[in-house]
Amino acid sequence: MDVFGLANADRVLPGVKAGDPAAQEALYRAFESPVYNLARRICRTTEDAEDVLQETFLEVFRSIGSYRGEGSLWGWVRTIASSKALMRLRRNKYRETDELQDDVVPLRREDTALRMDLEAALERLSATSRAVVWLHDVEGYTHEEIAAMMQKTVSFSKSQLARAHMRLRRWLGEEVPA
Amino acid sequence: MTHLTMEQLLAVREPGLEPGVQGWRDHAAACELCRAELERMDQRVARLRALPTLRPARNRFTEIRSQARRSRLRHRVLMFSLGGVAFAATLLLAFVLSTRLGTGGAAARLAEQSELDSIIARSRQLENVIEDYNPDRRVTDGRTAVVAASLEDRLAQVDRQLQLVDMMDQRVRPQEALRLWRERVGLLDALMDVHATGAKIVRY
Repeated sequence: MDVFGLANADRVLPGVKAGDPAAQEALYRAFESPVYNLARRICRTTEDAEDVLQETFLEVFRSIGSYRGEGSLWGWVRTIASSKALMRLRRNKYRETDELQDDVVPLRREDTALRMDLEAALERLSATSRAVVWLHDVEGYTHEEIAAMMQKTVSFSKSQLARAHMRLRRWLGEEVPA
Repeated sequence: MTHLTMEQLLAVREPGLEPGVQGWRDHAAACELCRAELERMDQRVARLRALPTLRPARNRFTEIRSQARRSRLRHRVLMFSLGGVAFAATLLLAFVLSTRLGTGGAAARLAEQSELDSIIARSRQLENVIEDYNPDRRVTDGRTAVVAASLEDRLAQVDRQLQLVDMMDQRVRPQEALRLWRERVGLLDALMDVHATGAKIVRY
């Protein structure tokens, strides 16, 4: 994450609130990568992630007046980005492909032998599981917050996380025989 | 010995103490296999956090900015329409009051008309100056652009109110028109100052 950019972001806040294009661009530059990264980790395609990036900043510029400085600016922007990414997941109604790949179709011999790279394993998770893992383990959201954003129950969030970790453990070759 | 399930292991890592978690924590502390599983989970999470930051392939700021402008414009049109309704209501009230209280004499009306003509002429003159100055083709800093945009917004609002004045009753029209044209000249003066000052700042 661009720490220098994030530190500057609070300084340009008055300008962004006044609609100053230079300040808006500075804010965009500061948060562009973390917002895109979050969107890309949750969404399946780069196109979707780019759309989420665009929708997030449109919302940020439109609603910046309602940001009262409670909590960090990044926290506020991140919540908007997470909501937009999850909204896109719901809108696209991604097919849950991991069931098919993992449980029905047997893994190829070389997959198990080579052990999957973490990036590939994360990509292979279902959209919902991946979103929960990323929001919980990386972005630090609680199960309650994730449940509220996904319009699901806390138990749903917990079980998705457990499911995701079981799969990651298996795909990364970390399973220990009992 | 029954080892902890993945859900239980995850619950152990969560802050707070939900029912049953203390028992699982005690088990994890005593069981080598579950402790090792927890460590592997911590490492997995640490590796997830250490994944490289993905960056967009191209800069989308210009696109976002123009979309934000369009959306702001739509919002303004809506606000102006609402403002127009409120203004029409105010004029109606003024009309009712003026018919009750009576209006001034012919001399006062003549003086008003004369002042109005002179203000309209001044407004046109200022508009010509600004047009000759051609601010759209000049480089301005962000702050100047914001102030100029805000003045132009207010000008558009005044123009809309002036259109409504033309549709109102003859008896209330001159006072309102005079007030609005005065405001318009003031705004044009300010706009001219902003462009002139902004240009100087950019030049140096």
